[in-house]
Amino acid sequence: MKSLKVIIDGLFRRNPTFVLILGLCPTLGTTSSAITGMSMGLATMMVLICSNFTVSALKGIIPDKVRIPAFILLIASFVTIVQMVMQAWLPALNASLGIFIPLIVVNCILLGRAEAFASKNNPWLSVCDGIGIGLGFTLALTLIGCVREILGTGAVFGQQLYSSDYGALLFVLAPGAFIVLGLLIALFNRLKEGR
Amino acid sequence: MKSSLRNMILSLTGLTVAIGAALAAVNEATADAIKETARRTRLEAMEAILPPFDNDIIATEVQSDGLPLYQATRGSEPVGIAIETYSDNGFSGRIAIITGFDNDGKLTGYRVLEHQETPGLGARMGEWFATAPHSVIGSSATLSVKNDGGDIDAITGATITSRAFLDAVNHARQAFQSYKK
Repeated sequence: MKSLKVIIDGLFRRNPTFVLILGLCPTLGTTSSAITGMSMGLATMMVLICSNFTVSALKGIIPDKVRIPAFILLIASFVTIVQMVMQAWLPALNASLGIFIPLIVVNCILLGRAEAFASKNNPWLSVCDGIGIGLGFTLALTLIGCVREILGTGAVFGQQLYSSDYGALLFVLAPGAFIVLGLLIALFNRLKEGR
Repeated sequence: MKSSLRNMILSLTGLTVAIGAALAAVNEATADAIKETARRTRLEAMEAILPPFDNDIIATEVQSDGLPLYQATRGSEPVGIAIETYSDNGFSGRIAIITGFDNDGKLTGYRVLEHQETPGLGARMGEWFATAPHSVIGSSATLSVKNDGGDIDAITGATITSRAFLDAVNHARQAFQSYKK
């Protein structure tokens, strides 16, 4: 099944964070805890599936020279819709992700997938690519969030594992994001090669 | 698809109009829910931070020192006052909180309504200032962080947020005092 392969590819062989190294700004910014990382991943996945689908469906009527503005227009409107829906029905999540939701617009994963995949494939495969890449992004953000939260505050998903007095604040702060991301990329590629 | 001036203008105009219409529809559909959520958040916050009250507190809104102030009563006896306050000195943008005071001006609680502080650092103000030993609940004086000679421990790694937070609480206290006068 080609669609299944596209999804699995997005998770591992083309994982946006660990392999393509795309969208690092929200990756570094929202992973100070597992739950914010996961929510950001899921919000991005929602937008990515919608934008991949519409880009693919409209690829026949968008002239080449204006395709980038058209893609950005589509992505920005889906982000706005996601934000309005979150404000209306998920206020707690909206409060914790704050400024990072509008920033999904400039996440290069979205434009990258629109350009590299959705504009060359049919809508169904593009949706699969959106699911795969979205899940891969969510997986990566959740993983980084877990490691940073455990090392930094001694908790994971808000569950205290050991006293937060022993947590290393460094891992909650920006440098910790770089350190954990670097080590996880190394680990991921080691496991990928080792097969 | 090959580009010509004509089809570029047509496709971008068409796309913009369609998207504009879609956004207007979503805005229409969510506007009431967003308003209702904001109202419920305030009411729930006030119920959590004030002594039990039984009046329609949202309707009692008055302005004091430029801040919205709500009088809570129970069986026509005043039991406390909730004040919405804010500070623009946060680490990133506005911090809006709602504070509760009893009749003597003692802080009975607070809830953060809106902020854009860093997750894991400044964003912890919701719990930080409600937990000993850095709790501000029960205080009845002007507050400042230890770095500024006060006696409140700032949030680790988020002194600026802490300052802004206490700033907002102090502003609320001023509003409380000028209302009482």
